[in-house]
Amino acid sequence: MAIERTDLQQLLNRRYSAGFVTDIETDTLPPGLNEDVIHALSARKREPEWMTQWRLEAYRHWLTMTPPAWAKLNIAPIDFQAISYYAAPKQAPKSLAEVDPKLLETYDKLGVPLHERARLAGVAVDAVFDSVSVGTTFRKELAEAGVIFCSMSEAIREHPEIVRQYLGSVVPQRDNFFAALNSAVFSDGSFVFIPKGVRCPMELSTYFRINAGHTGQFERTLIVAEEGASVSYLEGCTAPMRDENQLHAAVVELVALERANIKYSTVQNWYPGDEQGRGGIYNFVTKRGDCRGDDSRISWTQVETGSAITWKYPSCILRGDRSVGEFNSVALTHHRQQADTGTKMIHIGRDTRSKIVSKGISAGRGQNTYRGLVKIEKSAANARNHTQCDSLLIGKKCGAHTFPYMEVKNPSAIVEHEATTSKISDEQLFYCRSRGLDEENAVSMIVDGFCKQVFRELPMEFAVEAKKLLEVSLEGAIG
Amino acid sequence: MSASAAPFVESMRAAALPASGIGWLDAARHEAMQAFLSAGLPDTRNELWKYTALRALEQRGYSARDESASTRMIDEGTFALPDIEGTRLVFVNGVFRADLSRLDDLPQGLSVQPLSRALVENPEPLRFLLSRHATEPRDSFASLNAALASDGVLVRVAPAAQIEAPLRIVHLGAQAEAAIACHARNFVELGEGACLRLIEHYAALGEHAHFTNIACEYVLQKSARIDLLALQDSAVGAALFRRSDFHLHEDAQLELHALELGGALARHELRIALDGDRSRAQTRGAFALRGRQHVDTELLIEHHGRDTASDSLWRGVADGRARGVFHGAITVHPGADGADAQLSNKNLLLSEGAEIDTRPALEIHADEVKAAHGATIGQLDEHALFYLRSRGLPAETARILLVRAFCAVALSGVEPQALREHCDALLLAHLPRENAQ
Repeated sequence: MAIERTDLQQLLNRRYSAGFVTDIETDTLPPGLNEDVIHALSARKREPEWMTQWRLEAYRHWLTMTPPAWAKLNIAPIDFQAISYYAAPKQAPKSLAEVDPKLLETYDKLGVPLHERARLAGVAVDAVFDSVSVGTTFRKELAEAGVIFCSMSEAIREHPEIVRQYLGSVVPQRDNFFAALNSAVFSDGSFVFIPKGVRCPMELSTYFRINAGHTGQFERTLIVAEEGASVSYLEGCTAPMRDENQLHAAVVELVALERANIKYSTVQNWYPGDEQGRGGIYNFVTKRGDCRGDDSRISWTQVETGSAITWKYPSCILRGDRSVGEFNSVALTHHRQQADTGTKMIHIGRDTRSKIVSKGISAGRGQNTYRGLVKIEKSAANARNHTQCDSLLIGKKCGAHTFPYMEVKNPSAIVEHEATTSKISDEQLFYCRSRGLDEENAVSMIVDGFCKQVFRELPMEFAVEAKKLLEVSLEGAIG
Repeated sequence: MSASAAPFVESMRAAALPASGIGWLDAARHEAMQAFLSAGLPDTRNELWKYTALRALEQRGYSARDESASTRMIDEGTFALPDIEGTRLVFVNGVFRADLSRLDDLPQGLSVQPLSRALVENPEPLRFLLSRHATEPRDSFASLNAALASDGVLVRVAPAAQIEAPLRIVHLGAQAEAAIACHARNFVELGEGACLRLIEHYAALGEHAHFTNIACEYVLQKSARIDLLALQDSAVGAALFRRSDFHLHEDAQLELHALELGGALARHELRIALDGDRSRAQTRGAFALRGRQHVDTELLIEHHGRDTASDSLWRGVADGRARGVFHGAITVHPGADGADAQLSNKNLLLSEGAEIDTRPALEIHADEVKAAHGATIGQLDEHALFYLRSRGLPAETARILLVRAFCAVALSGVEPQALREHCDALLLAHLPRENAQ
């Protein structure tokens, strides 16, 4: 047992494996935020006037807002003036061949298949390095299908009419503190447009990287699926090791028109901070999907293992009749990580359905909170919701919390919620160990079983990655 | 919070603080009033008040007292309960009525006194209870209660005393010339190994729109046990705010049944602290609402001791344009290893205009814990209805039968049987009459 302890200790102390900083000159705006910074940012990105105005509107409203305090999170006050709001690699590459080899090397370390490997994996990768998209693959194949998949800055320049129509229509500029901040200073992100009747020929994917220190990253993603279209989108991320808390406030908007289907999967593995809670990413994300058309469907799947602080509630507005919303989540907190995450399902249309599966795992001194709202409006006849929320505790000092809200105004609706909290029992461990598994493997197996329901919803490559991630993240949790 | 001009706050400010002539008590009351005035009424940004807006209440003013409360003719039948005799205290519009109460022949080990009398006879032992900030955290209604409550009940059960016959505390709202504000403060303490059955009964005589604010504190010493039935059948127009704080020491046990039927705006905040190791709380409750009723139950259970257990089963039925709110929050604090917490809340929504908001919450800070909660909102099972109708039951009878069965779980365990049947009948009287398609 003593030897095992030291092994565990080593594992426990192992540094974050994706933690490295690529040394590239970045063209960075000085820290601070005011209207000039927004003008400069907008100008650098060669945005049209309406976009600049849109940002300014958001900024002016943001000034009147205060950071939300209702979440069960312990956050040191954030100095928004100490952050630089723009960082882009200096040489803008025209093609993949021109991409800085150092950048490609970074992706290599992370295992992002950008060239051949991408094709083999059948994944189109729109890799975002800090704030500007540097390489986009599979453009042609997608273009043939009529799918637009590009960076947000490109979309603003080349498809302004679509962007103008949908940007901010799901998450308005004034939605909340972090969404307003994002609207004012968003750097880049992905834009996906699937035209009427098109089934996107491949799974789309973006890898995010936060690279330059002091730079908040403000991603803005917009996915629009027209009538009968369908798309599966993957988002995954790792970040290099940093001592300062880096702020990340992303906004993701999904629009599903009639019979459209959007599946959005996330694996989040940003730097969680060290054992003492130093460093780590602050992750404040507003994700929302709007099932605008009848028979549309939006499904969120997330595996959250990283970030020092996670504040994230991917939601569905079920406006269209018979529309369907889904939320599948695994959130893991270890050391001093804090996560307050969940979803909102707003039922407006008739015969709408939603399903929520949330699995929270807390280890070390981690604090894991599920916070969810299921709201059935008067108009949502025959609406149906089922919520399942399970928490697993590993260790004496962690916390697992569940705060579901249910508001029902229609008598034909059925809403169900169930939640359990438990620990890995000694009997379970003993059973596994008596079958020859060591403790670490036994825990990993039990955790895997606990999360299976969610992993099943992930695309294959992600499912493998997610399982691995949990194993790595839980190293040293028992012992 | 800028409620300073609101009629409600004004009418409370205008009410003279009850003068006791006891220095420390007057000071405590003054301080509590200041706390109320500076805080105003809670608004819906406060999580505990999220679904209960007090805008309508804020616009009403209340008379500070009912001058003829002590002389009103009261028919004892209005608050009679079957098979329940013996010791009782009766308050009419907040005023203690010795003529209606029965305090002679107290069983051995039971001491019962109206608070007003205790304050006159021997106030010193109450100093600790009344001057400290007993109910922490104190909200506006608790402050208001501390400032204005001049009466209530003081119950003490001697160690090891087993009080078999139930003790009743009746708060009767009687029709009066104006809407009255009543405040009462109750203290119940059970000594080591003591056992008590208690019935809190909120009854109505005629139509009225009084405001009643009651704070109860229960302390259960080691191995004490209390069986509590809280039967709330206030007038349709009444506003009733109750707060009950329970402190359970080692091996203490609480068994609670709550039935919420009346009131236009009724709120009951139950705070159960399982402080001692192996203390247990079992709560059962139901509300049946109709018309424009708004009933809010806040059940806050805190596990502090080791191997503590709580088991809660609550049912709700809302019809008409009623709104039912339930918040069941279980907190397992660090060190409360071995806690076992279960909560189930099921609701029936019977009409288009009704609304149910439920919020079961779990906050777990300890390992070695078993905790689970479940909540549903739905309607009667069509198949069950069809089955009953195929057996020849009229639609309405079938519905009522199913709703009764739905609520029955909350009443099981109420003793004696006649009382349980009475509760069932009261519930039945509150169920929708013509909901047949």
